[in-house]
Amino acid sequence: MKIMVCIKQVPHQDARLDVKGDGTWIQEEGIKFEINQYDQNALEAALQLKDASGGEVVVVSVGPERVTQSLRTALGMGADRAVHVKDPEADGSDPLGIAKILAAVAKAESPDLLFTGFMSDDGNIAAVGPMLAALLDVPHTTTAVSLKHENGSIQVERELEGGALEVVELKTPCLVTTQTGMNQVRYASLKGIMAAKKKTIDVKTVADLGLAGQVGAGAAKVKIEKLYLPAKGQGAEILSGSVDEVVGKLVGKIKELGLL
Amino acid sequence: MGSILVVAEIQKGKVREASYELVSFARKVGEATGREVKSLVLGQGVSGLAEELSKKGGGEVFAADDAALANYNAGGHFAAVKAAIDAAAPDLILLSNTPSGWDVAPRVAATLDAAFVSDCFDIEVDGGELVFLRRFFNGKLDARLRPAGLPIVATMQPGATAAFSAASEGKVTPLSITVGEGGTKFIEVKAASAKGVDLTKAEIIISGGRSLGGPEKFEEVIKPLADALGGAMGASRPVVDAGWLPHAHQVGSSGQVVSPKLYVACGISGAIQHLVGMKSSNFIIAINKDPDAPIFEVANLGVVGDLFEVVPKLTEAVKTAKG
Ligand SMILES: Cc1cc2nc3c(=O)[nH]c(=O)nc-3n(C[C@H](O)[C@H](O)[C@H](O)COP(=O)(O)OP(=O)(O)OC[C@H]3O[C@@H](n4cnc5c(N)ncnc54)[C@H](O)[C@@H]3O)c2cc1C
Ligand SMILES: Nc1ncnc2c1ncn2[C@@H]1O[C@H](COP(=O)(O)O)[C@@H](O)[C@H]1O
Repeated sequence: MKIMVCIKQVPHQDARLDVKGDGTWIQEEGIKFEINQYDQNALEAALQLKDASGGEVVVVSVGPERVTQSLRTALGMGADRAVHVKDPEADGSDPLGIAKILAAVAKAESPDLLFTGFMSDDGNIAAVGPMLAALLDVPHTTTAVSLKHENGSIQVERELEGGALEVVELKTPCLVTTQTGMNQVRYASLKGIMAAKKKTIDVKTVADLGLAGQVGAGAAKVKIEKLYLPAKGQGAEILSGSVDEVVGKLVGKIKELGLL
Repeated sequence: MGSILVVAEIQKGKVREASYELVSFARKVGEATGREVKSLVLGQGVSGLAEELSKKGGGEVFAADDAALANYNAGGHFAAVKAAIDAAAPDLILLSNTPSGWDVAPRVAATLDAAFVSDCFDIEVDGGELVFLRRFFNGKLDARLRPAGLPIVATMQPGATAAFSAASEGKVTPLSITVGEGGTKFIEVKAASAKGVDLTKAEIIISGGRSLGGPEKFEEVIKPLADALGGAMGASRPVVDAGWLPHAHQVGSSGQVVSPKLYVACGISGAIQHLVGMKSSNFIIAINKDPDAPIFEVANLGVVGDLFEVVPKLTEAVKTAKG
């Protein structure tokens, strides 16, 4: 089975976020990036399928030069090949623009199974996966927490609210978006990292994919007008003083609540 | 000007509260921009519910009543929304940010080549255009999004506004749909497992987040405070994802919804999916080293500081106070 995994590189979960001058995105200089959490689970799910029954895992990412690092990590973990759509023309794409780029890659690759993360940890949009499935006209399901592959069909447990699960079945080719906690993600081993040096990262432009003028900021249907710190409401009373003073006040409050 | 289509959801045999919240948003935008509000109800045996929605703000309600919709399935849901779009000619389509919204809304947007915004908590009308407000970076930043044109598919965060409840004129129009073969097949729904602690019964919950760093830290830092106060341990999702604590300890939209007398959040940022699980607690104390952490918005008392310093001292002070 050939599996395509879409991975996005996002600011590290512990990165300090500052809005950049024009107010439309964060200041990216100087912050650390990592593979989106949800996509790490997607890659792990793909690698587990390959470990069990062979096949090929291709990772695809749209983004600037820094993304090479994440693709190398994915290859080190065991992906076979990578496609990097690296083109300033793709900058500022909305999820539909990204989905169009990934669809063009998928058409050239014709995978049996496609994975995306459920959502990106920066934009939190949760759109690219189902959009990509729509553009490819394949069935999809979202928020997978487990997956089985048997005789050409994929059985997925997807997460509903409150911890309930829904079991669905899809025939390949199909697309699955993965939820965090689906699996425990492996690390790239030293051997894996060495092996990855021989693997290829295929770099493509938007024009290579026949999408010149159709994606990027100009074609985006949604614009971020302004990004800002959420307005402070009433909020909590923030206790001041030394740790001992603060702790004293907390104990006083707990007593006042009748819980001590 | 097109209409606004509200895609309602049925849950436990009723129109979901979140769907009436969509009606509130639709009415607000409709009044400001001269758009008519229409709705879709889908499922099996749902004509009565369509009738109810039509009298409570839903306007003309399209009722897709079909055996193929007896159980939720992405393909059937999509087919019904597509049919309602053809019938209602909307240029704004509203769904809820729920498991069916996740599945269907982006797919509808891609199919229509429409603008898509998700998990919004408000819609503003600005110079005749629509502006959507939502969170980015798990609640750390807010954004104003302006779609460049119509149509727009938007999902709204459940609980972001009051449900519409006034009586209104409306009507029900039956809608027939065709569901193709080969889509995503429904097999079954498995209820959440009821194993382990029952946090909903706890009077005091001490919760820890990803920043604890490992299961041993729960033992060393969180559990002693929970024990000293006679409370239970709670957790944010990454803690459970990493296997540090069983799922029964998870507080939030995909875990437990709790409302203890006291909830102490230690190193939890306050993403919306966590907040919905604990914000109705009687009293909330948040300990976080980031003064801008969203958790402080729902807390009563906040401590900006290192939990590894504050929590052990608090545990000692509680023990001393108990004597
Ligand atoms: C469909 C869906 C369902 C979800 N369901 C849930 C759910 O049920 N429950 C849930 O919790 N999440 C849920 N999530 C995940 C949610 O979006 C967040 O990712 C999660 O709540 C973040 O957990 P956290 O606060 O522990 O981690 P983070 O957001 O990474 O926050 C860590 C916090 O710790 C603080 N910190 C770090 N070190 C220290 C220190 N030494 N002292 C004090 N503070 C410190 C940081 O300032 C930061 O605020 C869900 C997400 C999705 C998409
Ligand atoms: N630039 C990108 N390159 C590759 N995959 C992406 C990109 N952006 C989003 N995705 C995929 O789409 C998923 C959902 O992202 P989003 O719709 O932006 O929340 C992510 O988890 C990734 O798997």
